[in-house]
Amino acid sequence: MFKNNIKIAWRNLKKQPFFTFLNTFGLAVGMAGALLICLYIYDELSYDKMFSDADRIHRVNVDIKFGGEARNFAVTPAPMAESIKNDFDEVEMVTRFRTRGSMLIRKSDARANVKEEGSTYVDPSFLDMFGIPLLAGDPKTALTRPNTLILTETAAKKHFGIEDAVGQTVVLNNTENYTVVGVIPDFPSNSFLRNHSIFLSMTGFGDAQIVNWGSNNYQTYIKLIPSAKAEDMQVQLRGFLGKYMIPGVQQFLPGITEEQLIAAGNYVVYSTIPMTDIHLHSHRVAEISPNNDIQSIYILSFIALFLIVLASVNFMNLSTAYSLKRAKEVGVRKALGSKKGELVRQFMMESGVVSFISLILAIGIACVAMPFFNDLSNKDITIPYLSWGFWLVVLASTMALAFLSGSYPAFFMSRFMPIKVLKGSGETSVGGGKIRNALVVFQFIISIFLIISTIVVYQQLNYIQSKNLGYSKDQVLIVDDVYTAGNGIETFKEKVKQLAFVENASLSSFLPTPSDRSDSTFAPEDGATEQENAVSMQRWGVDHDYIQTLGLELLAGRNFDPLFGSDSTSIIVNESAVAIMGLSPKEAISKRYTPDMAVENAEFFTIIGVVKDFHFDSLRENIEALSLHLQDGARSMAVKVKAGNFSNAVSSIERIWNDLVPGEPFNYYFMEDSFNDSYQAEQRLGRIFIIFTILSILIACLGLFGLAIFNAEKKTKEIGIRKVLGAGVAQITYALTLDFLKLVGIAILVSLPLGWYAMEYWLEDFTYRINIGWSVFVLASFLALIISILSVGYQSVRAAVANPVKSLRTE
Amino acid sequence: MLLQLNNIFKWVNSAGQRVFLLKDINLEVEEGEFISVMGPSGSGKSTLLNVIGMLDTFDEGEYQFLDEPVHSLKEKNRANLYKEYIGFVFQSYHLLDELTVKENLEMPLLYKKIKGPERKAKVADMLDRFNIVGKKDLFPAQLSGGQQQLVGVARALISNPKLILADEPTGNLNSKQGEEIMELFKELNDEGVTIIQVTHSEKNAEYGSRIINLLDGRMV
Repeated sequence: MFKNNIKIAWRNLKKQPFFTFLNTFGLAVGMAGALLICLYIYDELSYDKMFSDADRIHRVNVDIKFGGEARNFAVTPAPMAESIKNDFDEVEMVTRFRTRGSMLIRKSDARANVKEEGSTYVDPSFLDMFGIPLLAGDPKTALTRPNTLILTETAAKKHFGIEDAVGQTVVLNNTENYTVVGVIPDFPSNSFLRNHSIFLSMTGFGDAQIVNWGSNNYQTYIKLIPSAKAEDMQVQLRGFLGKYMIPGVQQFLPGITEEQLIAAGNYVVYSTIPMTDIHLHSHRVAEISPNNDIQSIYILSFIALFLIVLASVNFMNLSTAYSLKRAKEVGVRKALGSKKGELVRQFMMESGVVSFISLILAIGIACVAMPFFNDLSNKDITIPYLSWGFWLVVLASTMALAFLSGSYPAFFMSRFMPIKVLKGSGETSVGGGKIRNALVVFQFIISIFLIISTIVVYQQLNYIQSKNLGYSKDQVLIVDDVYTAGNGIETFKEKVKQLAFVENASLSSFLPTPSDRSDSTFAPEDGATEQENAVSMQRWGVDHDYIQTLGLELLAGRNFDPLFGSDSTSIIVNESAVAIMGLSPKEAISKRYTPDMAVENAEFFTIIGVVKDFHFDSLRENIEALSLHLQDGARSMAVKVKAGNFSNAVSSIERIWNDLVPGEPFNYYFMEDSFNDSYQAEQRLGRIFIIFTILSILIACLGLFGLAIFNAEKKTKEIGIRKVLGAGVAQITYALTLDFLKLVGIAILVSLPLGWYAMEYWLEDFTYRINIGWSVFVLASFLALIISILSVGYQSVRAAVANPVKSLRTE
Repeated sequence: MLLQLNNIFKWVNSAGQRVFLLKDINLEVEEGEFISVMGPSGSGKSTLLNVIGMLDTFDEGEYQFLDEPVHSLKEKNRANLYKEYIGFVFQSYHLLDELTVKENLEMPLLYKKIKGPERKAKVADMLDRFNIVGKKDLFPAQLSGGQQQLVGVARALISNPKLILADEPTGNLNSKQGEEIMELFKELNDEGVTIIQVTHSEKNAEYGSRIINLLDGRMV
């Protein structure tokens, strides 16, 4: 019977190739899309789970509000690790990271440097904590001595073989000598250390040994004993404020007490987060690696679900629609004594066959689409062909899908009454029209919702990219790692400035695009010890040309001037800073502030200028207070190039660089690109939206198309009668199409408010955002209508021009 | 003369062979005639009726309807011609299930773009004339076969056609209902409407003024 069922199922499908194509193709597209998304989500959820005891490792966070600003840090004070280990019995092990960013490295006897993207100081417990094996070196002594480091396999291989790496001396940034004491495997792309390749011994880093509770610079990871729960630690951890932090900062702010701090509306709250939650749930200052947002995972899960549901609904719709053609078969089978259950099994078998053909097709599609999808999502996902778990899940899901989408058509068809379907031509005895219509409405609600979402996401992205940022990022080239020129750095800048197509150049480690950040708390000249007068500001070291090069606008006062010898104690602040000070830009000029609160002989800075606010953080954030100081030495140089001269500029600047400091790598990037990179998450979301919106519309169209065929067939007799009574082709086409447009119209009415609500929610995250205009809804509705007219129109015309004689023949 | 068929041929190609549905049909119909077309199943009766009704095309020959050459008319003009002058009555009535009696009657007038008040007047006339005023808001499924066919005839008549084409109008009715319909046709014919009916029944054929016999697409 089973074999017979499969045989008949196969024949039935072959008999209606077009229907089978619509059905399998729709299902395959939906499955492929969902498969890609599921693999993506699986990868996102797997972050940092590869470390042994990952479930017992937590990171210590701190939320601070002080000096008018509230910030959440992923870093804590240096002594946090030691204190937490001493105070908590349930903490088995602690380790700290102090990241140092990119670094140049060479063998001591080599000249050429190699740039490594990520480096960090780590405590000796690092290897043990995360269960990282050493490919070479002694795990007992590794990192215990100062000036030793561990390299990842890839980083090590650039200079030596893995075996002979241990014991070698390397030079970092041309100045520091380190001995290699170990080589570890590369970190997988789903670990928080994926961008790090140099691990320096913390024991040689002085700052790490000082008990300073006033600054937060160390990512502190703790491992709990198996029976401990992190939740039980939180209250005691909060007590660290009174126990360590307040006594610790009293040397800077003599009068401060915990009560006074809280009374002023400030707070310092320590907490922990499980390591495996960090990637999707943590958005703090100083994360080791950029994280993703759980929200995007939710959105993608919904899209995957949408795709599967759309495809499944499609299947139901097409199958029940085409059942008209098979009403007679059901009638005959029933008349010959087939039980309802047997018919259900027969139809389910067909659904199973279609589903499995779709699965094969879907895996093919996913395979072909994978490179593009990886590109889109910036990942390195592969289909895990060799994992039996994957196949188990895929097969089980396919079976569930086959069952779900097959059940309604099967029960629908097996209910046909044999006498009715055998006697009439079938149309009156086949019902289910309302359900089919509801399913089409449902599909279009989802599709229109996705269209609206796509438009809004794109409008927001455009808005961000074209927004007046308050500085000019166009035509700005950033030369990175210019500090390697040592004393030649000023010469380099002057030579570049002399180039004909260079407008200006400025040396600074601090840029409005992602770069170094450093903040200090400043107190005014009068009332320096009163914490409510304190202003927490970004403190950026720049040079005289910074404001011109980046096109910042001065609202009051003046720029730094080489003619004023006293400018080393001058600062230029932004609008937000003067707002926190409670001054107007004009009033702020000549006011004096110091970062050395309550210290004898504090160094005071005089405000000489106020610049208009510019966006140096993501547009998700408000603009923070900022102060610019004159400072020598810098990581990078910004070069403003005259329009249209980028390629000339790059090659000329590179030539100057190579003449000046031969052997040092010339690293550069465009500010525009760096800016765009910081909106990658949104752009990625935008692109993923577009792709899957198109997929879902495609599926919905297949459904509509199939239904139009069915409807035209069902109405053949009516169309015939109307034509005989004088209806024209145009009238009939119009009437048939209108039936569907009504359904799409209902879908539009439902999906517009849904789309509006969901997108308002999404936009809430942005401090600088668009407002959703009515044009979005008009455009989405218009698109939906056009698409449905295109998919229904052809069938309607075909039905309308058919010869009525055929349809009115009485058999 | 109402219509004239000269040397009409219609065929289909089946397995490379030309199968004739109509073969050399020559027919003249005067206004006011009542013609019965007879013949065994598959002899081409319905095909002939459809050709006369301009619902179906033919492959060879000439067809004049009220001195218009139907064979060389464009589809649109042909549609206008039959919309104006021809009404159809079917064996299985072909009423639209989702429309009431009144709406079914109104439909041909809608397609002729007749204005609302005039439409209402004509529908009311028709309901009166066929004594079905009480049934005007019922749906076809609520009527007996004879009543449905009555509505079918009324619908064919509503746009004042010169010619009524009826394809076995009594085929689905019992003998009493059939008789009533045939009496109705007789009356209409007496009022001057030309009728061509296809029938299997000798008795029904007797109502007509002329009988045409078909066999394998030929007139005999």
